[in-house]
Amino acid sequence: MDTKHIRNFSIVAHIDHGKSTLADRMLEITGTITEREAKEQLLDSMELERERGITIKASAVTMNYEYEGEGYMLNLIDTPGHVDFHYEVSRALAACEGALLVVDASQGVEAQTVANAYLAIETGNELLGVINKIDLPAAQPDVVAEEIEHVLGISRGECFEISAKSGLGIEELISAVIELLPPPEDKGDRKTQALIFDSICDDYRGVICFIRVFSGSLKTRQKIRFMGTGRNYIITELGKMTPRMAPVDEIGCGEVGYLVANIRNLADVTVGDTITNDNDPAQEPLPGYHKPMQMVFSDFYPGNNTDYPKLRAAFDKLAMNDSSFSFAAQSSPALGFGFRCGFLGLLHMEIVQERLEREHNIEVIQTAPTVSYEVKTNDGAVKRIDSPSMLPDPSHIDELREPFVKLEIITGVDTIGGIMKLAEGRRCKLLKTDYLSKTRVMLEYKAPLAEIVYDFYDVLKGVSHGYATMDYEFTGYEKSNLVKIDILVNKIPVDALSLIVHRTNAEARGRRLIIKLRRSIDRHQFEIPLQVAIGGKIIARETIKAFRKDVTSKLYGGDVTRKMKVLKKQKEGKKRMKSVGSVQIPQKAFMSILDTSD
Amino acid sequence: MNAAMLGLYVHIPFCQSKCRYCAFYSEVVCERDTVEVVSAILRDMERYDVGDVETVYIGGGSPSCLPREELYSIVDFVSVNCGKVTEFSVEVNPGQVDEEFLKGLFDRGVNRLSIGAQSFDNSELEFIGRRHDSAAIEKAFDLARAAGFGNISIDLIFAIPGSTIEMFGRSLDRAISLGSEHVSAYSLSIEPSTPFGRAQVEGEIVKVDETADRAMYEMAIDRLGEAGIVQYEISNFARCGFECRHNLGCWANDPYIGVGPAASSYYNGVRFSNVADVAAYVDGIGGGESVIAESHRPDTKEVACETAVVNLRRRKGIVLDEFKSRTGFDLLDIFGDIVERFVRNGMIVHDDAAGRVYLSKIALPIADTVICEFANF
Repeated sequence: MDTKHIRNFSIVAHIDHGKSTLADRMLEITGTITEREAKEQLLDSMELERERGITIKASAVTMNYEYEGEGYMLNLIDTPGHVDFHYEVSRALAACEGALLVVDASQGVEAQTVANAYLAIETGNELLGVINKIDLPAAQPDVVAEEIEHVLGISRGECFEISAKSGLGIEELISAVIELLPPPEDKGDRKTQALIFDSICDDYRGVICFIRVFSGSLKTRQKIRFMGTGRNYIITELGKMTPRMAPVDEIGCGEVGYLVANIRNLADVTVGDTITNDNDPAQEPLPGYHKPMQMVFSDFYPGNNTDYPKLRAAFDKLAMNDSSFSFAAQSSPALGFGFRCGFLGLLHMEIVQERLEREHNIEVIQTAPTVSYEVKTNDGAVKRIDSPSMLPDPSHIDELREPFVKLEIITGVDTIGGIMKLAEGRRCKLLKTDYLSKTRVMLEYKAPLAEIVYDFYDVLKGVSHGYATMDYEFTGYEKSNLVKIDILVNKIPVDALSLIVHRTNAEARGRRLIIKLRRSIDRHQFEIPLQVAIGGKIIARETIKAFRKDVTSKLYGGDVTRKMKVLKKQKEGKKRMKSVGSVQIPQKAFMSILDTSD
Repeated sequence: MNAAMLGLYVHIPFCQSKCRYCAFYSEVVCERDTVEVVSAILRDMERYDVGDVETVYIGGGSPSCLPREELYSIVDFVSVNCGKVTEFSVEVNPGQVDEEFLKGLFDRGVNRLSIGAQSFDNSELEFIGRRHDSAAIEKAFDLARAAGFGNISIDLIFAIPGSTIEMFGRSLDRAISLGSEHVSAYSLSIEPSTPFGRAQVEGEIVKVDETADRAMYEMAIDRLGEAGIVQYEISNFARCGFECRHNLGCWANDPYIGVGPAASSYYNGVRFSNVADVAAYVDGIGGGESVIAESHRPDTKEVACETAVVNLRRRKGIVLDEFKSRTGFDLLDIFGDIVERFVRNGMIVHDDAAGRVYLSKIALPIADTVICEFANF
């Protein structure tokens, strides 16, 4: 198809601002799907995604639409909805020429919308402002238009007012996509360059890549090369998602579709990589490619030691479907055999954890998430460490560096005080304050990632009564005054409880942790000291008092059956504990670091 | 080797008044016609082959609150029908006895008396709702001796809210100086269904803290032991040869017949208990029907676990040969790991030469945490 008749676009929106509903409505109006099919929200494929109201995997749908007597191919590319998937979002946006910026008329601009809108601009997209849910009683389209104008420079007169739910204004919006968004450049005669913007693993076909052809074209049975990884494949199937898979023989310049090439392992495909013709390769790959960066790490141990092989099999399967997730065998004196896992962010970690329990039915003990640090040792070498236990002896450390992010928070002006206090307590440095409107403000901070991954978002939601939204972007590693704190249970250091923290927070964090531990470890027959140590020096202590009395005073014939039940229950309660020395530590104790309540 | 021995327990479901801590099934005596209940109990006993019974225990409730002739009729039934009895105990409330009554019991074959003293401190007695004072206990004891009883037990309760270690020490001393052969000392357990339970929820009474409770318990073990009244079970102490044979049967996991409302039995391999309602019991027995409310036949594994659990309450613990012959299981085959673990932390002693596994002294105050490990396998 002539590139002039192609439009590639995405929808950028905050969770619940109506992205999926709008997509469904467009599919309906263009006749791509029926109303009944729309109910199933085709763009979100996994059960988990729908429940959490987020989209984990991007995919693309091709809509064929007649406008003013001419046929158009509209490719709607879905973007992941969370900050953890920043890189994937950027690749999906790179596959488009335009983006619909959807804002809820009753909620206003949120941090994530801003972040993704900026990302769309950075990747060369033309933006269309869309105000959704204008039929809600609480809708304030004028205020929202003002915010959009202020933050993103889209004039308030240019915003489209729609209701995706009722269908109001959707046809006009589709017309605007054709009229106002630019078509792809016609580079069909150049050497082939196609961007992989997403991939999924299918049980029957192996890996399915979602691609956008920027120059040249792709044909079935063509020999192709992945420029980033250097691997070669033969294309076995090309097609469009309509939204079902519809095979085609060729995907031309400017078009979007899927590709199957007998690729077994998802790890062999990297989002952002460029595909070229192996017999006539392009000189350069498309710009912007890098490997996804794992920012958060956590240890997973099977709740039951015999589940170790089961856990490994589950991780194998998860890694097949999620190239951003990694795992490596790890063992801890306290917790036995388990795995060190890497994630893009905290939400990504929670998703993996939920899938483990839901799809694989394995209970896990998980240690506190930690970020990846850089250590410069005395000999000048710099290495990345993602577990406190990997930290060399302090005498060998020349410098410790931690990752920093640019953090954006959008909130109501009435909650700004609480948020600033929170940010200050988390070592965040205020860079910019920007009033979006009379009532809403955007705060920009430089923040240590470690302070953000921990529990920042939950606390932020609390202090802002649920209104504040945030987004962050990794900016780089910087030297920091960090220390490792060890937790000693009955004088024995428990490696799985160690933390790397800023020196100024060490005592408070350590104390908070042992108070939580004190509450979650049952009393024993002896007193158990809980201590926080930095390099052998104890900085805080709590004590779990011994229990003194636990015996049934009267037990005669008539009580035996009842007592046996009680004793069995008591015995069951002791299970699912890990022994450290002579102390039984329940699973919940290891989770207490994650627990944000006081 | 101890062969299994059959016991008989008679539950008298009446009290003069209900004590504030008591969770046992009983009704207030004056509100009930006791005659029909006692005749139901007699008919209940007739249903069993009681000729092999070796130990008898009449408890409650307060057996001593029954009209004398009625209690005597039960005692007489036992004396006539149970020819092999070696120990025959009756529980009495010190406020309900006189010379004639006690003489009557003794003459009819009762050879052991258990006096529900609970405390020798009058303020404590009043607090827990007893109707007698400490002088009444001493008087009852003297009358019992005079009536001929050479085997008298005294029940004590410690860790009563407001109690101190000194107060309990004085009660122990009085029990010792009276010269009793046997003492049972129970830590007060506050059950939710009792007036004490409700008062605790309301914050009107505060439980004695664990450390003091434990100190009182350890004091009982030490002080009674020094006086020659040696601990032989978690809560029971006796001069040598005066251990309660009836209850030793329970802790050996021997069979016993229980008659009366709410009484439990372990008979022909089945554990069952009678309906906890006087009227239903009387009607059931009268109509020739079953009065069993609940029953359960433990399987061989359950029997082994029950045996281990009750045996461990004895200071002599589990006798390995006896355990094997009774349950068919070798204790160390089924619980070897657990025994070894507790031996290592000093909670259990495994006396290889004597073939016994028993709780160490430090395990006694926290025995349930050890014993619960034997509750299943």
